[in-house]
Amino acid sequence: MNEIRALIVDDSSVMRKIVERALRQAGLDPLVVNEATNGIEGLELLKTKAVDLILSDINMPSMDGLEFLRQIRAQHLAPGVPVVMITTESSEEHVKQAILAGAQGYIRKPFTSEQVKERVLPLLPAA
Amino acid sequence: MALSLRTSLHLVSDPRNLDASVAEVFQMMLGVDCQRNLEPVTVEGESVTAVVGFCGLLTGACIFRAEKPVAMQMAARMTGMEFDTVDDIVKDAIGEICNIMAGAWKGKVPELAANCGLSVPAVITGRDYHLHVLSPEFRLNHTYHFEELNFAVTIVCDGLQ
Repeated sequence: MNEIRALIVDDSSVMRKIVERALRQAGLDPLVVNEATNGIEGLELLKTKAVDLILSDINMPSMDGLEFLRQIRAQHLAPGVPVVMITTESSEEHVKQAILAGAQGYIRKPFTSEQVKERVLPLLPAA
Repeated sequence: MALSLRTSLHLVSDPRNLDASVAEVFQMMLGVDCQRNLEPVTVEGESVTAVVGFCGLLTGACIFRAEKPVAMQMAARMTGMEFDTVDDIVKDAIGEICNIMAGAWKGKVPELAANCGLSVPAVITGRDYHLHVLSPEFRLNHTYHFEELNFAVTIVCDGLQ
C-alpha cells in the first residue's frame, strides 16, 4: 500500500493515539499522521498539508466535527478526501447530519480496530 | 405532540443499560472483561473523577470515579504507556472513558440518543468530595471491577422532559 497521510481531529490526545493505533492495526502502513485538537486547527492544517484521509470526532470545543466538515466543503479544502466521523454520538439523526455534511463514514465509540478496518479501508484508493 | 422521555423512564433508568455500557466500553477500549460488584465497594482515598453532563430532554451527568492506581492502570491499557503519576494523559484517558460510557449509555435508548447531548468531560482529582443533587429523578450508582481493581459509575438524572 502507498503511504497514507491521515489527519486525526480529536480534543483527546489519548483518542488520537488510539485511532492511530487502530489505523496501523488495520494495515495502513506506511502511515503519516497529522493531529488537530479541534476543527479550527484541522482547517488550518488542511490549508498547508495534503492528506489522504480525515478522521474527526464530533464533540469538540471551539469548532465541532460537523462544522469542521461543513467548512472543509465550503472552503473546498481536501477535495475528494474521505472523511470519517468517530464519535460517541450514535443516533440516526447524528449520522444523517454527518452524511449531509459530507462524511463518507461513521464509527461509533467504543470501536474495535476491525470496525475501523471495515469502514476506512474501502474508502482509500489503494484498498 | 412534544416528545417526552417520561413514557420511557423505565427504559432510561434500567440499570442493565449501564452495566452493558460499562462492559462494552471496557472490552472494546481496554480489552478487559469488567463485572459489576455484587456488593457495593467504596472508592476511597485519592481518586480521579470524570464528569460528563447530559443536556436536552434529559439533564444530569455520568460520573466515573476510581482511585489513582486504577486510573493509571486504565490509562496504561488504553495507551500502552506506563504511568507513575496522574498526569494530563491519565486525566485525558479517564475523561474519554467517561465520555464514551455516557454515549454508550444514552445510545441504549434511541429517543435518548437522539435528544440528549453530551458535554465535554471535566476531570477532578483529590479526596473526600461528595456529589449532591437535590431531588434527582433517578440515580444509578454501581461499582465494577476488572482484574480486582474497583471503580464506580454513577448516572444521575436531575431533569426529565
